[in-house]
Amino acid sequence: MTVRRMSSSPTSDLPYTDTKPQGSADFYYATNATFRFILGRLGTDGWRRYLEDLGRDYYAPANARWRQGGLPAVARYWRAFFAAEPGAKVTVTEHADRVEVAVVECPAIKHLRAGGRDIVREYCQHCYHLGQSRAAAAGLTMRLAGGNGSCCHTFAPAAAGLAPQDLKAIADARS
Amino acid sequence: MIGCYDFCAHYEWSFGWLEREGGHALVRDYWNEAINHDSQRHARELIEREGFAGMVKYWGHTLNEESPELGFAITHQPGVFRIDMHQCPSKGFLLRNGLEQYRDYCDHCMGWTGPMMREAGFVIDHEHNHRGQCWWEMRRADDRGGHAAPGSVSGQKDVRLGPDWRPPGTQLDRYIKATDPDKKTT
Repeated sequence: MTVRRMSSSPTSDLPYTDTKPQGSADFYYATNATFRFILGRLGTDGWRRYLEDLGRDYYAPANARWRQGGLPAVARYWRAFFAAEPGAKVTVTEHADRVEVAVVECPAIKHLRAGGRDIVREYCQHCYHLGQSRAAAAGLTMRLAGGNGSCCHTFAPAAAGLAPQDLKAIADARS
Repeated sequence: MIGCYDFCAHYEWSFGWLEREGGHALVRDYWNEAINHDSQRHARELIEREGFAGMVKYWGHTLNEESPELGFAITHQPGVFRIDMHQCPSKGFLLRNGLEQYRDYCDHCMGWTGPMMREAGFVIDHEHNHRGQCWWEMRRADDRGGHAAPGSVSGQKDVRLGPDWRPPGTQLDRYIKATDPDKKTT
């Protein structure tokens, strides 16, 4: 039987909080391995479905805050998110019509490389599939450009009419 | 982006997703293939190469990083390596945030360490109380020991001696000389 109980922290910009200020970077190994496993067993469509389901379901409390709080809530979330990711170098800029998350140094790619890990080629696409799923649940749109260690995420209202995502604009990850 | 800060929570969510996609077998394969043989390959290689000394190195590093407030104790005596987990940083995250998507998150530890230990020639005695507390004893597969009496290996650090180990209504899951996540008694 599957049981579910979900709650969210009322005092943090992150939905779930820990007693430590930052996570353990070795967990990026497990995320990379999870992607490899799902891609191998369920294919690209299965992996994309995993990310879209994760975005809608697991992140539902954060998405609800985005829907309620709009772009300022999106900006607050990403600032808090990257503050908790060890090694991240990120600038979050809130414009009137969009939020831009400029990832100067991706903490995951950096750590995977430092650990000599074979990075899944599609790794950087996960930010789009997950991010767009979350954005759609909040009435927003997400686009991604770059990848392989540095990139830019854009979040805007769905009505903003951002150009469709070109997956070729997302670089393959290299070890 | 999927972060490492809340890793334990989306990891646990993923168990439920995988089970819906491919049943229990897919979850077992995930723990073995993705975690044991891929993510934690450094642990597997270390323990296969160095045995008990590798366990001390691996869990000494990992538990210090995940649980800097030292909610655990590790004990190494001739023939046995033991972990007493008084405050699991991983299960604790789930309990504090009210997250439960999979029927027993704690099974994942045996799910990947079990096959890892089998491949390295060890077996595991283990109990968890679903409250963020557990203990583990690793011995060589041909060793006759197992399920040592409370306090006999780790002294006062033995989690079973604490008042929170088995309050009324607590369900203990127990493994005896096991390496298979499904070989438990409750």
